[in-house]
Amino acid sequence: MENNQDDSLLQMHLDYDGGHILTETVRWSRFLAIVGIVGLSICLLAFALAGTAVLAALSKLAPGLDTLAGLGSAIVIAALLVIFAVFVYVVYMLYRFSVLTRKAIDQQDQTILAEGMKCLKLYFVISGIFAILGLLGNLLTITKLFNS
Amino acid sequence: MEDQQTPPVTNQLENFFNISFDEATRTQIKQAAVWAKVITLCAFVGYAVVLVVAIFGQSAYSPDTEGLGGYVHTGNMVGVILSVGLGVFINYFLYRFAVATAKGMDNMDSIKTNEGFNSLRRYFKILGILIIICLSFVVLGILVAIFAGLGRS
Repeated sequence: MENNQDDSLLQMHLDYDGGHILTETVRWSRFLAIVGIVGLSICLLAFALAGTAVLAALSKLAPGLDTLAGLGSAIVIAALLVIFAVFVYVVYMLYRFSVLTRKAIDQQDQTILAEGMKCLKLYFVISGIFAILGLLGNLLTITKLFNS
Repeated sequence: MEDQQTPPVTNQLENFFNISFDEATRTQIKQAAVWAKVITLCAFVGYAVVLVVAIFGQSAYSPDTEGLGGYVHTGNMVGVILSVGLGVFINYFLYRFAVATAKGMDNMDSIKTNEGFNSLRRYFKILGILIIICLSFVVLGILVAIFAGLGRS
Protein backbone atom coordinates (compact mmCIF):
# COMPACT_ATOMS: atom_id res chain seq x y z
CA MET A 1 0.00 0.00 0.00
CA GLU A 2 2.84 2.32 0.90
CA ASN A 3 4.59 1.39 -2.31
CA ASN A 4 1.47 2.31 -4.24
CA GLN A 5 1.39 5.67 -2.52
CA ASP A 6 5.06 6.24 -3.32
CA ASP A 7 4.46 5.29 -6.95
CA SER A 8 1.53 7.64 -6.99
CA LEU A 9 3.72 10.45 -5.68
CA LEU A 10 6.40 9.75 -8.27
CA GLN A 11 3.90 9.91 -11.14
CA MET A 12 3.17 13.15 -12.89
CA HIS A 13 -0.26 14.27 -11.72
CA LEU A 14 -2.60 16.43 -13.70
CA ASP A 15 -2.73 19.81 -11.95
CA TYR A 16 -5.63 22.25 -12.14
CA ASP A 17 -3.95 24.38 -14.81
CA GLY A 18 -3.47 21.27 -16.91
CA GLY A 19 -7.02 20.14 -16.23
CA HIS A 20 -8.40 23.52 -17.26
CA ILE A 21 -6.31 23.53 -20.45
CA LEU A 22 -7.37 19.96 -21.28
CA THR A 23 -11.03 20.82 -20.67
CA GLU A 24 -10.88 23.71 -23.11
CA THR A 25 -8.91 21.64 -25.64
CA VAL A 26 -11.60 19.02 -25.43
CA ARG A 27 -14.33 21.62 -25.97
CA TRP A 28 -12.78 22.87 -29.21
CA SER A 29 -11.95 19.39 -30.45
CA ARG A 30 -15.56 18.33 -29.87
CA PHE A 31 -16.72 21.32 -31.90
CA LEU A 32 -14.33 20.41 -34.72
CA ALA A 33 -15.45 16.78 -34.62
CA ILE A 34 -19.14 17.73 -34.80
CA VAL A 35 -18.49 20.11 -37.70
CA GLY A 36 -16.51 17.31 -39.36
CA ILE A 37 -19.36 14.83 -38.94
CA VAL A 38 -21.87 17.32 -40.37
CA GLY A 39 -19.51 18.19 -43.24
CA LEU A 40 -18.92 14.54 -44.11
CA SER A 41 -22.66 13.87 -44.02
CA ILE A 42 -23.25 16.76 -46.44
CA CYS A 43 -20.49 15.41 -48.71
CA LEU A 44 -22.07 11.95 -48.70
CA LEU A 45 -25.48 13.44 -49.46
CA ALA A 46 -24.04 15.55 -52.29
CA PHE A 47 -22.29 12.52 -53.75
CA ALA A 48 -25.43 10.41 -53.49
CA LEU A 49 -27.57 13.06 -55.20
CA ALA A 50 -25.10 14.32 -57.82
CA GLY A 51 -22.23 11.85 -57.99
CA THR A 52 -21.29 12.46 -61.64
CA ALA A 53 -21.19 16.23 -61.27
CA VAL A 54 -19.13 15.95 -58.08
CA LEU A 55 -16.67 13.59 -59.78
CA ALA A 56 -16.31 15.99 -62.73
CA ALA A 57 -15.65 18.87 -60.34
CA LEU A 58 -13.10 16.82 -58.40
CA SER A 59 -11.27 15.79 -61.59
CA LYS A 60 -10.46 19.47 -62.23
CA LEU A 61 -8.68 19.66 -58.89
CA ALA A 62 -7.11 16.20 -59.02
CA PRO A 63 -6.43 15.11 -62.61
CA GLY A 64 -5.74 11.52 -61.50
CA LEU A 65 -9.47 10.94 -61.00
CA ASP A 66 -9.96 10.98 -64.79
CA THR A 67 -7.88 7.85 -65.14
CA LEU A 68 -9.74 6.30 -62.21
CA ALA A 69 -13.04 6.94 -63.97
CA GLY A 70 -11.86 4.74 -66.83
CA LEU A 71 -11.69 1.77 -64.47
CA GLY A 72 -15.41 1.77 -63.99
CA SER A 73 -17.82 3.63 -61.80
CA ALA A 74 -18.10 0.79 -59.27
CA ILE A 75 -14.37 0.91 -58.47
CA VAL A 76 -14.42 4.70 -58.21
CA ILE A 77 -17.40 4.60 -55.87
CA ALA A 78 -15.77 1.86 -53.78
CA ALA A 79 -12.51 3.84 -53.56
CA LEU A 80 -14.35 7.01 -52.57
CA LEU A 81 -16.34 5.10 -49.96
CA VAL A 82 -13.14 3.71 -48.46
CA ILE A 83 -11.63 7.21 -48.30
CA PHE A 84 -14.89 8.49 -46.83
CA ALA A 85 -14.86 5.73 -44.19
CA VAL A 86 -11.30 6.64 -43.20
CA PHE A 87 -12.31 10.30 -42.84
CA VAL A 88 -15.29 9.25 -40.70
CA TYR A 89 -12.92 7.19 -38.52
CA VAL A 90 -10.59 10.18 -38.08
CA VAL A 91 -13.43 12.47 -37.05
CA TYR A 92 -14.85 9.78 -34.77
CA MET A 93 -11.47 9.43 -33.04
CA LEU A 94 -11.37 13.18 -32.44
CA TYR A 95 -14.88 13.01 -31.01
CA ARG A 96 -13.99 10.06 -28.79
CA PHE A 97 -10.88 11.88 -27.57
CA SER A 98 -13.00 14.83 -26.52
CA VAL A 99 -15.70 12.74 -24.86
CA LEU A 100 -13.37 10.34 -23.03
CA THR A 101 -10.93 13.00 -21.83
CA ARG A 102 -13.78 15.14 -20.51
CA LYS A 103 -15.22 12.10 -18.77
CA ALA A 104 -11.80 11.21 -17.31
CA ILE A 105 -11.39 14.69 -15.84
CA ASP A 106 -14.93 14.76 -14.48
CA GLN A 107 -14.77 11.27 -12.97
CA GLN A 108 -11.03 11.38 -12.14
CA ASP A 109 -10.61 8.09 -13.97
CA GLN A 110 -7.13 7.02 -15.01
CA THR A 111 -8.22 4.31 -17.46
CA ILE A 112 -10.56 6.59 -19.37
CA LEU A 113 -7.82 9.22 -19.69
CA ALA A 114 -5.52 6.62 -21.25
CA GLU A 115 -8.33 5.65 -23.66
CA GLY A 116 -8.85 9.30 -24.59
CA MET A 117 -5.16 9.80 -25.27
CA LYS A 118 -5.14 6.63 -27.38
CA CYS A 119 -7.88 8.18 -29.52
CA LEU A 120 -5.83 11.38 -29.86
CA LYS A 121 -2.87 9.26 -30.96
CA LEU A 122 -4.98 7.42 -33.56
CA TYR A 123 -6.33 10.75 -34.82
CA PHE A 124 -2.79 12.05 -35.32
CA VAL A 125 -1.54 8.76 -36.81
CA ILE A 126 -4.19 8.70 -39.54
CA SER A 127 -3.89 12.44 -40.13
CA GLY A 128 -0.13 11.97 -40.40
CA ILE A 129 -0.52 9.22 -43.01
CA PHE A 130 -2.88 11.51 -44.96
CA ALA A 131 -0.34 14.35 -44.65
CA ILE A 132 2.47 12.13 -46.03
CA LEU A 133 0.24 10.94 -48.91
CA GLY A 134 -0.84 14.51 -49.63
CA LEU A 135 2.76 15.72 -49.69
CA LEU A 136 3.79 12.88 -52.01
CA GLY A 137 0.82 13.67 -54.27
CA ASN A 138 1.80 17.33 -54.42
CA LEU A 139 5.41 16.51 -55.20
CA LEU A 140 4.30 14.06 -57.90
CA THR A 141 2.00 16.65 -59.50
CA ILE A 142 4.75 19.27 -59.48
CA THR A 143 7.28 16.85 -60.97
CA LYS A 144 4.82 16.02 -63.74
CA LEU A 145 4.15 19.70 -64.38
CA PHE A 146 7.83 20.56 -64.62
CA ASN A 147 8.48 17.61 -66.93
CA SER A 148 5.56 18.41 -69.26
CA MET B 1 -10.81 2.03 13.47
CA GLU B 2 -11.61 3.12 9.95
CA ASP B 3 -11.74 6.74 11.11
CA GLN B 4 -8.11 6.54 12.17
CA GLN B 5 -6.91 5.58 8.69
CA THR B 6 -5.06 8.38 6.96
CA PRO B 7 -6.51 9.42 3.62
CA PRO B 8 -4.41 8.78 0.51
CA VAL B 9 -1.61 11.31 0.11
CA THR B 10 -2.78 12.36 -3.33
CA ASN B 11 -6.13 13.51 -1.97
CA GLN B 12 -4.35 15.95 0.35
CA LEU B 13 -2.79 17.74 -2.60
CA GLU B 14 -5.57 20.15 -3.40
CA ASN B 15 -3.87 21.56 -6.49
CA PHE B 16 -3.92 18.24 -8.26
CA PHE B 17 -6.54 16.03 -9.85
CA ASN B 18 -6.64 12.46 -8.72
CA ILE B 19 -5.45 11.29 -12.13
CA SER B 20 -1.91 11.06 -13.37
CA PHE B 21 -0.04 10.49 -16.59
CA ASP B 22 0.91 6.86 -16.04
CA GLU B 23 3.20 4.83 -18.28
CA ALA B 24 0.44 3.82 -20.72
CA THR B 25 -0.89 7.36 -21.04
CA ARG B 26 2.59 8.80 -21.46
CA THR B 27 3.34 6.32 -24.26
CA GLN B 28 0.14 7.27 -26.08
CA ILE B 29 0.86 10.98 -25.73
CA LYS B 30 4.46 10.57 -26.90
CA GLN B 31 3.31 8.68 -29.99
CA ALA B 32 0.67 11.33 -30.65
CA ALA B 33 3.41 13.97 -30.40
CA VAL B 34 5.61 12.09 -32.88
CA TRP B 35 2.79 11.94 -35.43
CA ALA B 36 1.85 15.55 -34.80
CA LYS B 37 5.44 16.44 -35.64
CA VAL B 38 5.21 14.38 -38.85
CA ILE B 39 2.05 16.30 -39.80
CA THR B 40 3.68 19.68 -39.21
CA LEU B 41 6.85 18.75 -41.10
CA CYS B 42 4.78 17.54 -44.07
CA ALA B 43 2.77 20.77 -43.91
CA PHE B 44 5.89 22.96 -43.77
CA VAL B 45 7.48 21.12 -46.72
CA GLY B 46 4.20 21.38 -48.63
CA TYR B 47 3.98 25.12 -47.99
CA ALA B 48 7.60 25.56 -49.09
CA VAL B 49 6.83 23.70 -52.32
CA VAL B 50 3.74 25.85 -52.96
CA LEU B 51 5.78 29.02 -52.35
CA VAL B 52 8.56 27.86 -54.67
CA VAL B 53 6.02 27.05 -57.37
CA ALA B 54 4.24 30.37 -56.85
CA ILE B 55 7.44 32.42 -57.04
CA PHE B 56 9.56 30.59 -59.58
CA GLY B 57 7.24 28.26 -61.41
CA GLN B 58 4.52 30.57 -62.77
CA SER B 59 6.17 30.93 -66.16
CA ALA B 60 6.48 27.15 -66.47
CA TYR B 61 2.70 26.67 -66.65
CA SER B 62 0.19 27.36 -69.31
CA PRO B 63 -3.01 29.11 -68.20
CA ASP B 64 -5.06 25.96 -68.65
CA THR B 65 -2.82 23.88 -66.38
CA GLU B 66 -4.81 21.60 -64.11
CA GLY B 67 -4.22 20.65 -60.48
CA LEU B 68 -1.98 22.49 -58.04
CA GLY B 69 -0.07 24.36 -60.76
CA GLY B 70 -3.29 25.70 -62.22
CA TYR B 71 -4.41 26.78 -58.81
CA VAL B 72 -1.16 28.63 -58.20
CA HIS B 73 -1.23 30.21 -61.64
CA THR B 74 -4.78 31.48 -61.48
CA GLY B 75 -4.58 32.40 -57.83
CA ASN B 76 -3.36 35.72 -56.63
CA MET B 77 0.25 35.75 -55.44
CA VAL B 78 -0.79 37.67 -52.33
CA GLY B 79 -3.47 35.06 -51.68
CA VAL B 80 -0.93 32.25 -51.89
CA ILE B 81 1.43 34.00 -49.46
CA LEU B 82 -1.44 34.74 -47.05
CA SER B 83 -2.66 31.13 -47.20
CA VAL B 84 0.84 29.80 -46.61
CA GLY B 85 1.36 32.28 -43.75
CA LEU B 86 -1.89 31.24 -42.13
CA GLY B 87 -1.05 27.56 -42.57
CA VAL B 88 2.40 28.01 -41.05
CA PHE B 89 0.89 29.99 -38.15
CA ILE B 90 -1.63 27.23 -37.40
CA ASN B 91 0.85 24.38 -37.78
CA TYR B 92 3.38 26.16 -35.59
CA PHE B 93 1.08 25.54 -32.61
CA LEU B 94 0.83 21.85 -33.50
CA TYR B 95 4.62 21.73 -33.73
CA ARG B 96 4.91 23.38 -30.32
CA PHE B 97 2.46 20.81 -28.94
CA ALA B 98 4.59 18.00 -30.37
CA VAL B 99 7.88 19.33 -29.02
CA ALA B 100 6.74 20.54 -25.59
CA THR B 101 4.56 17.53 -24.80
CA ALA B 102 7.24 15.03 -25.81
CA LYS B 103 9.75 16.88 -23.66
CA GLY B 104 7.29 17.08 -20.76
CA MET B 105 6.54 13.36 -20.95
CA ASP B 106 10.22 12.40 -21.15
CA ASN B 107 11.27 14.60 -18.22
CA MET B 108 8.05 14.15 -16.19
CA ASP B 109 7.73 17.92 -16.38
CA SER B 110 4.14 19.06 -15.85
CA ILE B 111 4.91 22.67 -16.83
CA LYS B 112 6.17 21.58 -20.25
CA THR B 113 3.24 19.19 -20.60
CA ASN B 114 0.77 21.96 -19.80
CA GLU B 115 2.58 24.20 -22.27
CA GLY B 116 2.22 21.48 -24.92
CA PHE B 117 -1.48 20.94 -24.30
CA ASN B 118 -1.98 24.70 -24.27
CA SER B 119 -0.51 24.80 -27.78
CA LEU B 120 -2.87 21.99 -28.82
CA ARG B 121 -5.76 24.01 -27.34
CA ARG B 122 -4.70 27.05 -29.40
CA TYR B 123 -4.36 24.89 -32.51
CA PHE B 124 -7.89 23.52 -32.16
CA LYS B 125 -9.22 26.94 -31.20
CA ILE B 126 -7.77 28.66 -34.28
CA LEU B 127 -9.12 25.87 -36.51
CA GLY B 128 -12.52 26.21 -34.84
CA ILE B 129 -12.59 29.99 -35.27
CA LEU B 130 -11.57 29.66 -38.94
CA ILE B 131 -14.36 27.13 -39.48
CA ILE B 132 -16.85 29.49 -37.83
CA ILE B 133 -15.70 32.32 -40.13
CA CYS B 134 -15.95 30.07 -43.21
CA LEU B 135 -19.42 28.86 -42.19
CA SER B 136 -20.50 32.48 -41.66
CA PHE B 137 -19.40 33.31 -45.22
CA VAL B 138 -21.27 30.27 -46.54
CA VAL B 139 -24.46 31.32 -44.71
CA LEU B 140 -23.98 34.89 -45.96
CA GLY B 141 -23.52 33.61 -49.52
CA ILE B 142 -26.69 31.52 -49.28
CA LEU B 143 -28.66 34.50 -47.93
CA VAL B 144 -27.34 36.77 -50.70
CA ALA B 145 -28.24 34.14 -53.30
CA ILE B 146 -31.76 33.78 -51.85
CA PHE B 147 -32.33 37.55 -51.78
CA ALA B 148 -30.88 37.92 -55.29
CA GLY B 149 -33.27 35.20 -56.46
CA LEU B 150 -36.21 36.90 -54.75
CA GLY B 151 -35.23 40.25 -56.28
CA ARG B 152 -35.29 38.84 -59.82
CA SER B 153 -38.66 37.12 -59.43
